Amino acid sequence: MSIIMKRVWPIAFAIAGCGTSPDDRPPTFEVVTLTVLAPSCGQVQCHSTTTRVQGYAFDTVEAARATFNAGNLSLSNDNPESVLYQSGPNRMPPDSPLPDEDLALIQAWIDGGKLGL
Amino acid sequence: MPLHRLTLFLVVIVVALATARTAAAYPQYQLARDVTCTGCHVSPDGGGLLNENGQTVAESTAWKDGDGSFMYGMSKPSWLALGGDVRGAAGFVYPGTPSAAAYPMQVEAAANATSHGFTLHVTGGFRSPQEGGSALHVLWSREHYAMWQSNPDEGKGVYVRAGRFTPTYGLRLAEHVVYTQKFGGRPLFDEAYAASVSYVDPRFEVHGTGFLHDPLAASVEKGDGGAGYAEVRLGSHAAIGAEGKYSRGDEQTKTFAGMTGKVYVESADLLFQAEAEVIRQHITIGAGFRATQLAGYLLATKPLSHGLLLDVGAGHYTEDTSVKGLYRDCLDVNLHWFVTPHLEGLLTTRVEVLDLGGSPSGGYALVQVHYRL
Repeated sequence: MSIIMKRVWPIAFAIAGCGTSPDDRPPTFEVVTLTVLAPSCGQVQCHSTTTRVQGYAFDTVEAARATFNAGNLSLSNDNPESVLYQSGPNRMPPDSPLPDEDLALIQAWIDGGKLGL
Repeated sequence: MPLHRLTLFLVVIVVALATARTAAAYPQYQLARDVTCTGCHVSPDGGGLLNENGQTVAESTAWKDGDGSFMYGMSKPSWLALGGDVRGAAGFVYPGTPSAAAYPMQVEAAANATSHGFTLHVTGGFRSPQEGGSALHVLWSREHYAMWQSNPDEGKGVYVRAGRFTPTYGLRLAEHVVYTQKFGGRPLFDEAYAASVSYVDPRFEVHGTGFLHDPLAASVEKGDGGAGYAEVRLGSHAAIGAEGKYSRGDEQTKTFAGMTGKVYVESADLLFQAEAEVIRQHITIGAGFRATQLAGYLLATKPLSHGLLLDVGAGHYTEDTSVKGLYRDCLDVNLHWFVTPHLEGLLTTRVEVLDLGGSPSGGYALVQVHYRL
């Protein structure tokens, strides 16, 4: 029974997509970019190195670093040009907004000093 | 060629100076109409140019009669196949409140030159500038390859390809926003320089591809690796498949594995297709990180009268299986209207829910128009 509780139950939840633990993803620039920004914002038709809508590209760490360092996209919470504002109150991506957990991960990276930029 | 057809052809080519996305076909017809993709398409894994039977199917499914061949029967040498696609969409997306949106999607032309089983293929169009607007990247060829096939008149047998094309993987649906494609192993514009061997038969098909990412231009596929797909038909109305892909890039490696299934219920003229993938992501720079994602999609397709085709799909994507509540689900309803053998209208809608309502939700309702030359 204990084996079922410890091993089978978490696997079953994982397969169902529910997850079993709170968010312990490390808030590094690489994780923020490659697990959040690239699959959601960096799709080829949007903010990718191929298309560069509004001049932004988030599909690679290198491209995201260049985008942030260009200074056109703020990382401040209350700035309408902020990546957090765009993905939060302004609901980007428009058809598929970022979940609260991903916004919290980006916030944790900012609070941690934006390491990796 | 009559003047108005020549004018139309030239207008399409000129309009191609706008932007281009992708062309794709209708796996919704598999099992219901033809068993293999090669039943309707020149390519061994479907998409792009139609063969003679594909043009006949386009004629038989359209609301209005017409000649389904290139430019309504324009004369050309028998060894040359030509085609093209123009596609765009407009409507509303839903970022909290409805917001108008328009998307120029695709303006492309394609050509196949075939002799004694050898084929040279090119698909080209135009896309938005990249890398600061270099003209080199405005005009592009999404696909160009050389191919040999063992039975060129039968649509089965061995196919060997080398050049730039999409590694064969998964269901290969036309709608690139399907989760198993958007987040899975076959995203939009993932063509790479590749070599592949395929064996296609009414009973089964196997595809193996090795690929290298584009060394010249920014591309969706950023790694080098391989992909495989195998599908076995269970009788005439069902099929099951297995898929795998590995890609190693400068910043991460990704491993994809999954299954597909197809069942055609003849009595109801209803086709079900399903795909489920496990994606293992390994970030190899910085402190590194490993994550596991899940993507799944179930699509039911029902042909209606007057050239109408109804799709109802349900999707699931788990962004990280280790994090509680980090997933999304969607319900898609698409109504295709094949007005003529060349003109298709599509009403495509989606409602997306994050964490079953725990986070903001999104969606869209778009009308897409597709004209095939």
